[in-house]
Amino acid sequence: MNWKRALGVDTLSEKYSYVSDPTYGYMAAEKAADTWVPTTCGYCSVGCGMLIGVKDGRAVSVRGSCDHPVNIGKLCPKGLAEHYTIAAEGRLTKPLLHGAPVSWDRALDTMVERFRSVQQKYGPNALGVISTGQLVTEEFYTLGKLVQLGFGTNNYDGNTTLCMASAVAGYKRSFGTDGPPGAYEDLEKADVILLIGANIADNHPILCQRLEKNQGATVIVADPRVTKTAMLADVYLPVKPRSDIALVNGIMHILIRAGLVNRAYIEQHTTGFVELERFLEKYTPEYVAGITGLSQDLIYKTAMLYGRAKAGFIGWTMGVNHSTQGAETVNAICDLALITGNIGRAGAAPFSITGQCNAMGTREAGFASSLPGYRKFESAADRAELAGLWNIDVSRIPTSRGLAYPDIIEAAVGKQIRALWIIATNPVVSFPNISVLRQAFENLEFLVVQDGFPTPTSEFADLVLPAAIWGEKVGTYTNSERRASKANRAVPPPGEAKADFDIFLEIARKLGCDQELFPGWSTPRDAFEEWRKVSAGRPCDYSGMTWELIEEHGGLQWPFRAGDEPGLTSRLYADGQFNTDDGKARLFCIECEPFPEQPTSEYPFVLNTGRTVEHWHTRTKTGRVPILEAMSPRAWLEMNPRDANRMKLRPHDRVDIVSRRDRVRGVELRVTEIVAPGQVFMPFHYVETNSNLVTQSAYDPISREPNYKQCSVRVERAGEN
Amino acid sequence: MSLPLKDRVTQDNPYFAPVLGGTPANTQYRFHFDMTKCIGCHCCEVACSEQNNNPAGINWRRVGEIEGGSYPYTQRFYLSMGCNHCLEPSCLSGCPVDAYTKNPANGIVLHSADACIGCQYCIWNCPYGVPQYNEERGVVGKCDMCHERIAEGRDPACVSACPEEAIQIEQVDASEWRLNYTGMANSPGLPAAEQTISTTRVTLPVSLPTEVRKADYHRVRPEHPHLPLVAMTVLTQLAVGAFCGVWILAALGRIGNWKLASIVAVAIGMLALAASTLHLGRPIYAYRALKMWRRSWLSREVLLFTLFAGMAAAYSGALESGLRVASALGALTALFGIGGIIASAFIYLVPARPSWNSRHTIAEFFLTAAMLGPVFLSVLGFSLPLFVLAGAVGQGLNQGLKFLWLIRSDEFELQGSARLLSADLRNLFLARFGLLIAGGIVAPLLGFPMIGLAAALAGELLGRYLFFVSVVPRNMAAGFFEAGKVAA
Repeated sequence: MNWKRALGVDTLSEKYSYVSDPTYGYMAAEKAADTWVPTTCGYCSVGCGMLIGVKDGRAVSVRGSCDHPVNIGKLCPKGLAEHYTIAAEGRLTKPLLHGAPVSWDRALDTMVERFRSVQQKYGPNALGVISTGQLVTEEFYTLGKLVQLGFGTNNYDGNTTLCMASAVAGYKRSFGTDGPPGAYEDLEKADVILLIGANIADNHPILCQRLEKNQGATVIVADPRVTKTAMLADVYLPVKPRSDIALVNGIMHILIRAGLVNRAYIEQHTTGFVELERFLEKYTPEYVAGITGLSQDLIYKTAMLYGRAKAGFIGWTMGVNHSTQGAETVNAICDLALITGNIGRAGAAPFSITGQCNAMGTREAGFASSLPGYRKFESAADRAELAGLWNIDVSRIPTSRGLAYPDIIEAAVGKQIRALWIIATNPVVSFPNISVLRQAFENLEFLVVQDGFPTPTSEFADLVLPAAIWGEKVGTYTNSERRASKANRAVPPPGEAKADFDIFLEIARKLGCDQELFPGWSTPRDAFEEWRKVSAGRPCDYSGMTWELIEEHGGLQWPFRAGDEPGLTSRLYADGQFNTDDGKARLFCIECEPFPEQPTSEYPFVLNTGRTVEHWHTRTKTGRVPILEAMSPRAWLEMNPRDANRMKLRPHDRVDIVSRRDRVRGVELRVTEIVAPGQVFMPFHYVETNSNLVTQSAYDPISREPNYKQCSVRVERAGEN
Repeated sequence: MSLPLKDRVTQDNPYFAPVLGGTPANTQYRFHFDMTKCIGCHCCEVACSEQNNNPAGINWRRVGEIEGGSYPYTQRFYLSMGCNHCLEPSCLSGCPVDAYTKNPANGIVLHSADACIGCQYCIWNCPYGVPQYNEERGVVGKCDMCHERIAEGRDPACVSACPEEAIQIEQVDASEWRLNYTGMANSPGLPAAEQTISTTRVTLPVSLPTEVRKADYHRVRPEHPHLPLVAMTVLTQLAVGAFCGVWILAALGRIGNWKLASIVAVAIGMLALAASTLHLGRPIYAYRALKMWRRSWLSREVLLFTLFAGMAAAYSGALESGLRVASALGALTALFGIGGIIASAFIYLVPARPSWNSRHTIAEFFLTAAMLGPVFLSVLGFSLPLFVLAGAVGQGLNQGLKFLWLIRSDEFELQGSARLLSADLRNLFLARFGLLIAGGIVAPLLGFPMIGLAAALAGELLGRYLFFVSVVPRNMAAGFFEAGKVAA
């Protein structure tokens, strides 16, 4: 502190002065920008349009775009502070080989040489690649070709498998391909909105303004925890953990009995109803009440509300997906929407509300869980079509999907995977039952981590590649409602950090496959132009889009063919034609099974995990934003007062959470009626007190998504063990 | 060009048109907060900090949480509050430098960083915890309703950031509001609106559980110790006690080392006043604190202690020279000193800080003077054990009775103070009594004046430290975490 400040002559009046920005009005002078760069938010997949304020070459502020159809000027607290992520200290600025800075040339030569030697020694599939939902579509498209055709391994998956894989697998089974059928506008048009395991008030707050605009709608929220979203509900269903399948089956049972199903729609557009009707006989209100813990009256009331809706909307997120029955739960939800004809109309849709800003981009263009353009590995026609488009021999396209993310990790434990490339994800915080991951890392011969910041994962890396982040690069993000929006560069990346796209092209050059796979490419626009051609005629059709058109209209929803009119809301399956062989949707008979790790006397609590509005995923970015950190500085454990009293625990006591795997130490206790007796909840963002020390290695057999929720734990006062 | 907010307001620069309709004197802007719409997303807080370039931890708008009912019939609600732009703003009435104004044209309560000296008295006065001290600047700051944005025809930052339209700006007729605010300005999780007549209108849910708790109900932390003020109050009280003693003894014709006693006491008094400036964010402008003596107890305290110090110096000189006016000067010294202690005590008698707001505070300050003055004089050879004993027993009783009052109270803040003293601060609280007994009872009876002074002074300093840290201010509900805020 200088003497002027110590005496009080100086009060930093310059820093705390104001000016009137011509566009955004009176504001702190330091936040008023020279230029406002339009872009799309890089956190979740609501996909809000925004502007980054740049002053003297630095990102100093953000504003929501008032004319963007998604957010109409609003941003969540993370978005409102997003410029701090670009300006944050501690970025990766040089490639690091075993901790020492090296040139890009040396780094990528080493990477290619090590990956190639592992592949020569143990076979091409000994290389695994785990990417993310946070690159731009152009990068996903490029990366997919680079990994599958350049490196020649199909053991490639994204962290989207930890997130939305169940929705993807569920959609594929029910409708023939992936793709959320509805649009955000449906939240305004529906007269009944059923949210299952979706805490949008914390996780997608900008969607809540749609509910606010739809005052006439009845909002029903099914969640074992009284979330902020539950408080928005007209009807709250305090279901027991993982009883949602029973709830949905119970609703269908009642609606079939009451004749509130759409027989004509079932007849024309679905198969499997006869089996379903017979199967549902046992899901009587009495039976369902026993499983869900809800009263028969409440189940009946819910069924009647949804059954009588003119347009019924069902939204879900991780409460459904993070489950060993995740994909099946999605099928049950789709069953309910299909037999009531609540799909393909304004307000009527089953709708997964996606997590990451561009999880959709990797699902569509990524070449991981399917071939680009929702093509199937198994389909010879699809493979041949792609080979033609790419002008390569069809034999180079894999005939089956490689290992999914958890299986790549387990294969590394088993030493079938010997080298790993991790891009923009942080498994040391986000992977379930972390000890398995640590063991996998120990067995690797070479680990490359590519990210914007040093992360707990990059600490394990042999080679760290510094990447540009949101605000420093160009491309498109596709949001939950299939809207591609443009992300732009406001400032250059720091030091020698490079856009992921440039890194991928450089690696292709080192591999010698650049001219074959990426002929004449130099910018992400080249990738977009090829993706337009590759997606043409597919369900996720981008062929009519251009970057310019996307920017002009605040994003465009697919399918969008040449000549399509921009600005119209698009819904899938409006014509009742599904992407199956016979054009009909499939109905599934889904049994509600108990979750894998039931509470015992030794581990009596069911642990639920989730998020808080201030943080994003593993806090790689939000942990570096002071205002968000100040609002939510550490994890907490929610416990019902009845349990806390019995255990003589008081608010703010520090507790350990212990499962059969490990122990999370010193979490601050919140005694609250938000959670039911016998259940506890903690947020998963914090590496310091990582919930994934105690979560389990149990995966959905269909989607391979981990069962993060519902593991059995005991709670002890911290320091006793 | 840019200038700090208030300094753009001049007679010639009607920065802000009067609100429409009604007489300007009567109509003002206010916030409306709709609790049924708020989802607790904190957008308003972030937008506010961005608008004003405030660092993390200083939130001019804050979001708190309340909870009631039991699972599954739990109810959770949020409160988002900036400044309530009260009809009777207690921040304004206490300010010694007139840094606050309530704009007559629109009712917005403004604070001038330029005028502020960082005394933080407004923070003690506001029952909502609205003004916040910015360490980096040395001044307080608070929500100004983004009045410059309103003047541009725009919404305040919080209003335009809210995705749920839960915050709005409205106009209100002040005289009507005075009659009917009770049902509209009060809410669970907020201090009673009566104290300052908050103008924020709150729309509450139709049905609220009978018992509603703040999310932070169990988080009671020791407050800021204000060490310069611990030193200043105790030492001024010692000096006043000493001079009262000197004056009485001299008037009774007792012979003693007046010269030394008065010089040391004056020095202590001066030291205390100097120490108090260290409390200020802008010490160089300490003199400004005299400005509002007609209204602010803080101004009065500064004025009376300044007069006391000057008169004490004059009295010392007169005693030394054996002038006949000495006795009269002594009487004036005592008078100003006692007046100063009264002003000191009244600073702390604020409804927003319940454990301070009692007769125990006045008693504590005078008993410190009544005990430390004679203890001090006894070191200089005046034997006054009975006075010391009386002061010590009085202080012990006062502290004991205060603690009983705290633990018996139903009031959340008073219970909180009792909880702090009996848990977090228990050892210090016991030590305070130990030192009081050692310095005020045992040492004088056994005849160890130096040890007595050391123990008694340490005891009172510790007691005053506890006075500052054990207060639990009234405030709006916070979140489960404290949002990085350090209360002043």
